Amino acid sequence: MIGAMTAEPSGLIYMVAGESASAAIASNIFNALLKYNATLDLEGDLAESWVISPDQKTITFKLKPNLSWADGQPLTSADVLFTWKLVTDENTRSPYASDYQLVKKVDTPDPLTFSVTYDQAYAPALDSWSGLQILPEHLLKGQDVHTTTFARKPVGSNFYQLDVWKNGENIQLSRNPKSVLGPAQIDKLITRIIPDNSAQFLELMADNIDNMGLDPIKYSRIIPSRPDLKQKLNLYKELGNSYTYMGFNLKHKPFDDQRVRKAINYAIDKQEIIDGVYLGLGINIASPYKPGTRWSNPDLNPYPYDPSKAKALLKEAGFMDTDGDGILERDGKPFAFEIITNQNKEREKSAVLIQRRLKEVGIDVNIRAIEWASFISRFIKTGDFDVVVLGWGLGLDPDQFNIWHSSQQAPGQFNFIGYNNTTIDKLLEQGRTELDPDKRMKIYHEFSKVLLEDCPIVYLSAGYGLTAIHKRVQGIANPVPPAGVGYDSHKWYIPEPLRRNEFSAQ
Amino acid sequence: MLIGISLISFFIMHLAPGDITNNEASFNPKASEESRQKLRELYHLDKPVIVQYGLWLKRMVQLDFGNSFASHQKPVFWQTKDKDGNVTKGMIQEALPITLMINILGLIITLALAIPLGVIAARHYQSWKDRSITLFNFVGFSIPGFWLSLLLMYWLGVMNNWLPISGLHSLNYDTLDTWGKIKDSLSHLIMPVIIPSVTGLAGITLFVKNGMLDVLNQDYITTARAKGLNEHQVVYTHALRNALLPLITIIGLSIPGLIGGSVIAETIFAIPGMGKLFYDAVLMRDFPVVMGILTIGSALTLMGNLIADVSYAWADPRVRRGVVRG
Repeated sequence: MIGAMTAEPSGLIYMVAGESASAAIASNIFNALLKYNATLDLEGDLAESWVISPDQKTITFKLKPNLSWADGQPLTSADVLFTWKLVTDENTRSPYASDYQLVKKVDTPDPLTFSVTYDQAYAPALDSWSGLQILPEHLLKGQDVHTTTFARKPVGSNFYQLDVWKNGENIQLSRNPKSVLGPAQIDKLITRIIPDNSAQFLELMADNIDNMGLDPIKYSRIIPSRPDLKQKLNLYKELGNSYTYMGFNLKHKPFDDQRVRKAINYAIDKQEIIDGVYLGLGINIASPYKPGTRWSNPDLNPYPYDPSKAKALLKEAGFMDTDGDGILERDGKPFAFEIITNQNKEREKSAVLIQRRLKEVGIDVNIRAIEWASFISRFIKTGDFDVVVLGWGLGLDPDQFNIWHSSQQAPGQFNFIGYNNTTIDKLLEQGRTELDPDKRMKIYHEFSKVLLEDCPIVYLSAGYGLTAIHKRVQGIANPVPPAGVGYDSHKWYIPEPLRRNEFSAQ
Repeated sequence: MLIGISLISFFIMHLAPGDITNNEASFNPKASEESRQKLRELYHLDKPVIVQYGLWLKRMVQLDFGNSFASHQKPVFWQTKDKDGNVTKGMIQEALPITLMINILGLIITLALAIPLGVIAARHYQSWKDRSITLFNFVGFSIPGFWLSLLLMYWLGVMNNWLPISGLHSLNYDTLDTWGKIKDSLSHLIMPVIIPSVTGLAGITLFVKNGMLDVLNQDYITTARAKGLNEHQVVYTHALRNALLPLITIIGLSIPGLIGGSVIAETIFAIPGMGKLFYDAVLMRDFPVVMGILTIGSALTLMGNLIADVSYAWADPRVRRGVVRG
């Protein structure tokens, strides 16, 4: 199967490479202790089972027996320990180390057992062990993880192993016969690096690649209107774990006033953004969790589009059009602000629609789009902004302490909107220390409810991830399960007569 | 000269807001500010710019271009070998030959087309031949390269499957025999080489045409004609050689372009060349790579200009005499 991606990974040790391109390839090569199943519940990957101690502070993982690396060496708890030491080592520059640094004590009583003890019960711990790809000690010991050639010649334990990496051109994986999870169906997985999206699409049309991620125009306009494409491609859509929002700088007036925030929320037609910008391929959300999953509170409803309510709330907050120019004023100052966003077409278009709707209720909005690095260092870090349109891409654990807790406001931290709410703080703290999924669910349902009521941000939409896959690839679940289209790609297969000739000869 | 260039580029690069830590997994809530701070200290990004420049210059005089921040510490310029004998190739080492090959081929094609076209246009000045060449040139000049590329990719690659759409090699390249390899490489190169040459044709053709027109009005051409030389000899032996002299300057000036590559073409055709490398490095604020490319680029450009000047003297006796007298 041949796929394509726009950026080349810098290396295949994900903990130091840190970018999504690296994750996409490395996840075919390495395993973690745990993984998410089709319905996004955790299950064992390398681990056969895990036990949480009664005080919720210690987790003991039992590895599956007889695991081995692709080179035939046994994979034991010593490798897990090595990987943990590596990621928490002071000299290792991993952007994701903080979760693992909370572990106070590790223990490997025998080659199949690995246990970790935390100072306090830490609920995101289980999720964190699904994100740490276990590396082989015998190949990496004594090497500098940042310069080692292992990053470009990895040996893993998962379904595939690296065959060839042609710099800037393609990365070819082949089936790992010693895979710890049994053999994958497809022999070869090739990823071509094609930076331009249009060129990628042309390759898809010419049958040179089998799958690619699509944008809404290709998904809902171009492919359906062309019979030849419709005939050879299957289309899939899945809700991503991300959403676009409009966030207020809560330290700036008048955004410190809940009525003003709510008014703006009522004034924005979210459905219009979904239809206009995402061609209907998104949904309106009411909590920062993926709808349909355990953590998303099904009782919450998004703010409807209601300009008259918006106007009433603004009036209540003291805004009035005193000089008749169509723009509201308070204390003689017109209500005007600037929306900033990074150079992302969809966000820019959303901002334009927002601008128009806010004009209708009497708010004057300017839009500015800024290149990413400047955007972060000049505006977000310094807190020098009124309103942003941005997106959050989140992990599968419901903990959002870093984004909403009032202690996370220092420059470079993620509560840059300056949100400060004691109820929210308390719920976030509780949610972090509760490992029982049902109790945890209640905490986060309450959290989402308070957050929606207080309205520190306006949820704009959660977009669908869209994929086209050639029909020769079969065995793909449709409709896509919550875990996404690719979660069981090792079960996909290509029937003999449909395989590509250039590879069957080998 | 080189120090001046490097100083200016270093400061401009650091004037741009942000650094590598704003990109490397920067907006992932799982990535902490402490780990970013650690990274900044490691790369000396917390120091004043002038200190950073000093550190860079110190490495530079030992010809150590350093390692990339972003790409798993790959060496910027030339390959290194670790203690186990594993070789890691340098980023510029990998990208430069590709870009040079494409651009030099492109330049050769451009010249091969532009010189005859220019000569024809000058000889038949203001005739239909001249007009249609001018028209052709300006159409080529006005068409955006990326648009033409996409159209041709669609026509030649998708509709007809005559040429590969993007990339440098087919996936089964390694299994081909030598002849197959050459054919494969050439077919991948056709579009990326020809499209920029067609769009770049206009300038050089006009240049040749105007040079020719100038020369054809000179006294010595009249003399040559008066001597009774045939038209062919007049045009090709006497006129063309003189008309081509300024072209050396043009080629000299195009050297930075030959090295720099084109971001748009390389992105569309998925070619891992210098333009893409530089563009990505700037967006990532990958300072060692940016500085490495600028330094090597300017060194090569200075060298190119020198060669152009020298070959000017070699080609034109008048210049040579001037040098001796001066």
